[in-house]
Amino acid sequence: MRAPSGATGAPDAARRRVMTPSVPRPDRLAQAIAEQVVKVVVDALDINALLARIDVSALLDRVDMNEVVAKIDIDELVARLDVDALISRVDVDALIGRVDVNHIIERVDVDQVVARVDVDQVVARVDVEAVVDRVNVDKLIASVDIDKLIEQTELGSIIARSTTGVAGEVLDVVRAQGVGLDDFVARWSARILRRKPGTLPLGPPLLVGRTKEPVAAIEASGGTT
Amino acid sequence: MTNVEQAIGGPVVGRQGNYAGAVSRLVAFAADIGISWGLYSLGVAGVTLFTSLVSGHSFSIAKHRLLALVVVVVWEFIYFTYQWAVSGKTLGMAIFGIKVVSAEGAPIGFKAATIRTITLPISIFFFGIGLIGIIVQRERRAFHDLCAHTCVVYAWDARAARLRWLAKNDPATPAHGS
Repeated sequence: MRAPSGATGAPDAARRRVMTPSVPRPDRLAQAIAEQVVKVVVDALDINALLARIDVSALLDRVDMNEVVAKIDIDELVARLDVDALISRVDVDALIGRVDVNHIIERVDVDQVVARVDVDQVVARVDVEAVVDRVNVDKLIASVDIDKLIEQTELGSIIARSTTGVAGEVLDVVRAQGVGLDDFVARWSARILRRKPGTLPLGPPLLVGRTKEPVAAIEASGGTT
Repeated sequence: MTNVEQAIGGPVVGRQGNYAGAVSRLVAFAADIGISWGLYSLGVAGVTLFTSLVSGHSFSIAKHRLLALVVVVVWEFIYFTYQWAVSGKTLGMAIFGIKVVSAEGAPIGFKAATIRTITLPISIFFFGIGLIGIIVQRERRAFHDLCAHTCVVYAWDARAARLRWLAKNDPATPAHGS
């Protein structure tokens, strides 16, 4: 009959520890071997040569970029971006120099752009007085053919109602006849004196030398007749 | 083109400020003589009437030739000097659209007006030799103009006159008084 195991257990375990030397466990051994192998391989491996043999394009073709991009939190990325620093590094002149502005303009649908413009709002922001101040009114008026204007508009009747009557008209004709006779006498005197036409001064320098002075000076000193 | 349009339009327009010619000046001067003489006659008649009403005696300046001459000279001096100094034109010159300005074209003052009035008779005397400068001188200046450093220019706004004429002949213009 065998003795109960409880009576013989402790001496068996002690005997086993004495008989078995301290051998590493298999997994630890495998780990150690693997580390040594990897180290040897890595030391022996030419990484550059390995990378040179990789077809990056083919690799990228196998990557689903949409899926990658979808995983990126753009907002967070932008929030971390220093836009000012980025822009300060951009050579804007060089960038603009590379842009074909004419080509861009040709592609713009101007009608569509104009249709979106609120003209009333634009006009409301215009300083009309400043624009008028920049207009050369004298030059503008000088370019108007007043005779034609009166002939083609109702302006004639307005002027007629506000001006003198028969006496004024007679006076105009008498004066005009006087000027005509003056010219007749001047022509003959120039012919007798053998003066070339156009060589005589037309009038005093202050009255004919500049454009505005004749009317202004005469009106300032007593008004026109 | 009618005669009136020919007269007012064309070369006449734009002559404001140019030297006035002999005809306009002489006709204006003649008008001034007539006007000044008419005003003198009215003045003499008024004084004669006033004197007879106040004193009861009839007084005729024609009987006092020296006095009449002095009055005429003083009156003519005032007539021309005052009007030239104030506006550059007498009544006759205003009618014919001319005025006196300095040789440079500026308004004249009392000094130039006075010199011009004093030397005007010298131009007229001796058969009007002093007036020949209006025809032969480059700036159409007579002797009294040279003395007073003045000249005579057109002050008449022919352009406005032409506009008035065009307006009156516009078919759309209603007749005056309508």
